[in-house]
Amino acid sequence: MSEEFNFTIKDYESNFKPTWCPGCGNFSQWRAIRQALIELEIPPEEVVAVSGIGCSSHMPNFLKVYGLQTVHGRGIPVATGIRLANPKLTVLVYGGDGDIYGIGGNHFLHACRRNVDIITIVSNNFVYGLTTGQASATTPVGTITRTTPRGSIENPLNPIATAISAGATFVARAFSGDLKHLSYIIKEAIDHRGFAFVDVFSPCITFNRNQTFNYFRERVYKVDDTDHDKEDFYAALDLSNQKFIKDNLPIGIFYQIEHKTTYEERDFTLNQGVIPAHAPLDLSKEQIDIITKEFY
Amino acid sequence: MTKDIIIRFVGSAGDGLVSLGNLFSKILKKHNFNVLGFRSYQSVIRGGYNEYQIRASTDEVLSIGEEADIIVLLNKSVAAIHRVRVNKDAMVIYDNDYINLDELDYPEDIQKLPIPLANITKDISKLKVLKNIVGFGAISQILGLDETLIKEVIVEQFGHKGEEVVFTNFEALEKGDKFATENKWPIKWEKHKYEKAQQMIITGNEALALGMISAGLKFYSGYPMTPATSIVHYLTKHLPKLGMIVKQTEDEIAAIGMAIGAAYCGARAATGTSGGGFSLMSELVGMAGIEEIPLVVINSQRAGPSTGMATKTEQADLFQAYGISQGEFPKVILAPSSVIEAFNVGVDAVEIAEKYQVVVIVLLDLYLSEHIATVRKFDLERKNSRFAILDKPSEDYIRYKITKTGVSPRTLPGTKNGVFFTGSSERNESGTSIASTLAGLPETLPIREEMVKKRMRKLEYILEELEKPKIYGEKEASITLVSWGSTKYILREAIKLLKAEGIEANQLHIKAINPFHKTEVKEILSNAKEVLCVEQNFTGQMNDYIRMKTGFDIKHNLRRWDGEPIVPSQIIAKVKEVLNIE
Ligand code: SF4
Repeated sequence: MSEEFNFTIKDYESNFKPTWCPGCGNFSQWRAIRQALIELEIPPEEVVAVSGIGCSSHMPNFLKVYGLQTVHGRGIPVATGIRLANPKLTVLVYGGDGDIYGIGGNHFLHACRRNVDIITIVSNNFVYGLTTGQASATTPVGTITRTTPRGSIENPLNPIATAISAGATFVARAFSGDLKHLSYIIKEAIDHRGFAFVDVFSPCITFNRNQTFNYFRERVYKVDDTDHDKEDFYAALDLSNQKFIKDNLPIGIFYQIEHKTTYEERDFTLNQGVIPAHAPLDLSKEQIDIITKEFY
Repeated sequence: MTKDIIIRFVGSAGDGLVSLGNLFSKILKKHNFNVLGFRSYQSVIRGGYNEYQIRASTDEVLSIGEEADIIVLLNKSVAAIHRVRVNKDAMVIYDNDYINLDELDYPEDIQKLPIPLANITKDISKLKVLKNIVGFGAISQILGLDETLIKEVIVEQFGHKGEEVVFTNFEALEKGDKFATENKWPIKWEKHKYEKAQQMIITGNEALALGMISAGLKFYSGYPMTPATSIVHYLTKHLPKLGMIVKQTEDEIAAIGMAIGAAYCGARAATGTSGGGFSLMSELVGMAGIEEIPLVVINSQRAGPSTGMATKTEQADLFQAYGISQGEFPKVILAPSSVIEAFNVGVDAVEIAEKYQVVVIVLLDLYLSEHIATVRKFDLERKNSRFAILDKPSEDYIRYKITKTGVSPRTLPGTKNGVFFTGSSERNESGTSIASTLAGLPETLPIREEMVKKRMRKLEYILEELEKPKIYGEKEASITLVSWGSTKYILREAIKLLKAEGIEANQLHIKAINPFHKTEVKEILSNAKEVLCVEQNFTGQMNDYIRMKTGFDIKHNLRRWDGEPIVPSQIIAKVKEVLNIE
């Protein structure tokens, strides 16, 4: 395929221009996703971008790939269905902390556990943006938002630790302010066999005065620059808890294992090479006998 | 001469009542009887009070019947409860080592048939369920059944467990038969040679599943909920051989979500549940509606509200289905009435969904989902074709093109030049959202108007494809009975019995709830002398629905909401009351 591949970044861009606030962290992901697809030479028609509701969930509107925006929080199950019906497709889920950790949290856990081969990118801005600034599942304790005027009293979720413990086989974090590293992480995530999850520090410049670009710039450091062993489950968990202990924030691949079979590989229908979306509709005589025997 | 018999097994959860009932139904089916079997049970895994009633007839079986001819009591505690349900001329079979009917105050004039079931099997095997086979042996003596045919069923059922199991069962069967002979048990029917049956015996859920499979179903996802769960059970058994995927998900939202994803990709897909799960699915039903993704959603109704009575039947989700999800979008609602119709609706639902890119809701009820019935072999050798899918779209392809029928050809992910965006927001023909920066702009208003019209007009074309409601029975009848769902044939039995008494009743049965044949329904009802609406709910949802759609106000109602299926005698009594007949 590589000789034929001549798509440019523009070819992945729809004619609907992004509606995010100028300077929003989501712009970097918009760029990084396209960059990664080009580097991996995946043509637009083989990609499905799925999302839920929220600022970041508008993403598929702005991409020229097969795009499906669901209702709030339901991107993951829809993406799972897409992938099961046609495992040839690259299926990306994109959403925010409210969408995927909050309302869609249950699906997130189960996708990790199943190790379904989809990519989930969460634009984590620690706040609800589209609904104009309420607390989310990742809002730190004490944060003042429109629904927590006296400061949030809830402990935030640790998405990296959650994903690792729930069984995801690729768990990473990136930062919108470092496009090169972000593209690299997204590329690695797409390339990974199994459930790949990337939490992106993606500042909301309108409703979050705390977790700003500068805030992250001062605190992030790259896991790759340390001697972290990404195949070590406990080291990964340990690393994921650092942010809560010290005020430095690792970005990079926390955890990645290749030896675990995927949901698709374990599936008794798919592992026969069937593509349900295109499988023959009519029953053979033999099939009819098998499925009706018990009724005689 | 018509042979017609009702046999009722009474036991507790853990007595193996389902397998026992299914097995005996199969035995009777083998003898070419028409059979209907239904288990009335509780939501407990062990203990409790359950009945499995089987009716077999040389004539068609329309209802499960009321008074049992043969009653088999499987334990002492249920025997005590069952006393009030025994009719005077019943034969009652029971294990006299455990049950003393005199102590339990059973009516004098019943025919008591004690048999030491457990004791007889003691020296054959330790298997507890074997005593049920002894019972079959004894009943087969009463009914003059053919030993070879019974043995055939046993081989079919237990053959895979090995010869020893089969022979132990044979022995148990013969012992039962011998006991009945030696103790001079009454003979109801003389022994004779039976024609071997070609029919199938199947539940409503299984028939629906078979219908969907034969129409090319390739994806089914669900979360366990009575009474829809047996659809997944059946589908899961054979899926790898069908190139089909069946998934149990984390909840019903994920179930419908996955089905939508698969359908969007091109796999014919369905999901199924009962009222509670149907409530959870609501939001995504609307999404499939606006995104025009073909989908079948099954709701097997059980007694509500909320958890209600999990193992009992009801028809109270009509308005839930009609009003499901916010806003307006075309939803097709079909309610099959019988096992045969469940199969046909399974085929139609899958086909209509793809052809019109709509959500088709199939409303079953517990009685239909779970009862077992003999049917003529289904025609599974269908030639299916795909609808409105473009393999080679032109460069200027747009997904939501406004068309006459409202159906816009779609492309499946993976197709070159077919890339499009779809979302849960309103859009223009090319798929671009008109809900954010374009919302409310002067040029956007007509687009919104046209997109809604485009989606909604599909219903007009679907209505033309659906079978029109007709009157069953005499046109000039003194009363027209209106029904929907699984009560159809119970009403037919009442009509038959009324006719025998010289009272003419006919029937209008509603299968297509939406779109609705208002003209036809209104005309039929306007010409009726009296109208009685029969339904299994408290508020009379079909009555309200018909009035809403046609303006016709049905005066008389018969409603049952205690959780058990309506019975012919109730209908007969109500008809007589309406017609002022003593
Ligand atoms: S509100 Fe925040 S998250 Fe939303 S687009 Fe604006 S900056 Fe981005």
